[in-house]
Amino acid sequence: MIFVIDDDITMAECIAKACKKKTRIFANAIDAMEKISNGEIPEIIFLDILLDGPDGFTFLNELISYSDTAKIPIVIVSSLDLSDYDLSVYGVVGVLDKTTMLPKDIANYVEEYCR
Amino acid sequence: MDVEVDGILVAAHELKAPLAVLRQLALSFDEMDSTNEHIRTEMISVSERAMKQVNDLVKIRRLEDGLFTMEPVAVRAVCDDVMRELYHLFRHNRRDLFVKYSNRSRLVTANKDLLHSVIYNFLLNAMHYSGEDTRAELLVKDYHDTVRVVVRDYGPSLPMDVWREMKRGWIEKPTSIAMRPGSSGLGLFIASRFSRYMNADVGAVRHRDGTSFYVNMPISKQASLFEI
Repeated sequence: MIFVIDDDITMAECIAKACKKKTRIFANAIDAMEKISNGEIPEIIFLDILLDGPDGFTFLNELISYSDTAKIPIVIVSSLDLSDYDLSVYGVVGVLDKTTMLPKDIANYVEEYCR
Repeated sequence: MDVEVDGILVAAHELKAPLAVLRQLALSFDEMDSTNEHIRTEMISVSERAMKQVNDLVKIRRLEDGLFTMEPVAVRAVCDDVMRELYHLFRHNRRDLFVKYSNRSRLVTANKDLLHSVIYNFLLNAMHYSGEDTRAELLVKDYHDTVRVVVRDYGPSLPMDVWREMKRGWIEKPTSIAMRPGSSGLGLFIASRFSRYMNADVGAVRHRDGTSFYVNMPISKQASLFEI
């Protein structure tokens, strides 16, 4: 299972379509965290940063604080320029710029991290 | 932070999200048949160009923070990048893009991203104002202690008031350019701000059959050492 967390549902659907695998879309971090707390651990998460409610960084901190979620690969999908930040400590395996990314960029991450 | 620029920043962020969605929607269409494929391509192209201008507006805000480092930059390589980016757009709009490099000094002191944006905006402006089946020209040559990058178009001559602003090296704000309808002058506004940040001279020359926009980039002293 793949999680896509983005408050822009159209963008989230585009990402989900590019994954070509079973995905679950969340419009906010709270709903996604609740699902994870209930034992549904995704193989990979595509995460927007600017979200309604808790932002992407809050979600990342929450994830790394638990042993069962600390190693979930995360791909940040944002239009913010994050090139100056080292996000690997959060389990971030990649950063995609919404303004330039291609569907195959998403598919590549899925292929690499999903069995 | 100046209020006007802050407003630009907010507007830029607001615009970026729907443009990114539009582009992703177009990309997510399966390849259309040959009659409609150009529509999909054009949607992607239009949204990418709009986002590039929006990103440039965000960069204008960041100029105040001094976040763009100046370094030796190979001006021809930047021009090549821009040419590659815009070549198909020119062809698609039935314009030719001609390039000529005659500069000896290859490195200038600049910020690569900002210089890329200056040349990109000049060329987009030229494409917009060159008529069908005409061409725009990108010329790079030495000019005193600088390297001059010139973009020549064959459209209507630049209005005198805009020329005066360009001569001053500084466009105060995007304004509607009479005689050059359909433009807010946004590209030139962006180019002039970035040029000023890089201590480069920007200007325009009016011709009877069009306009040349130029930016004079200071030659890198590091480059001079290499060339001795």
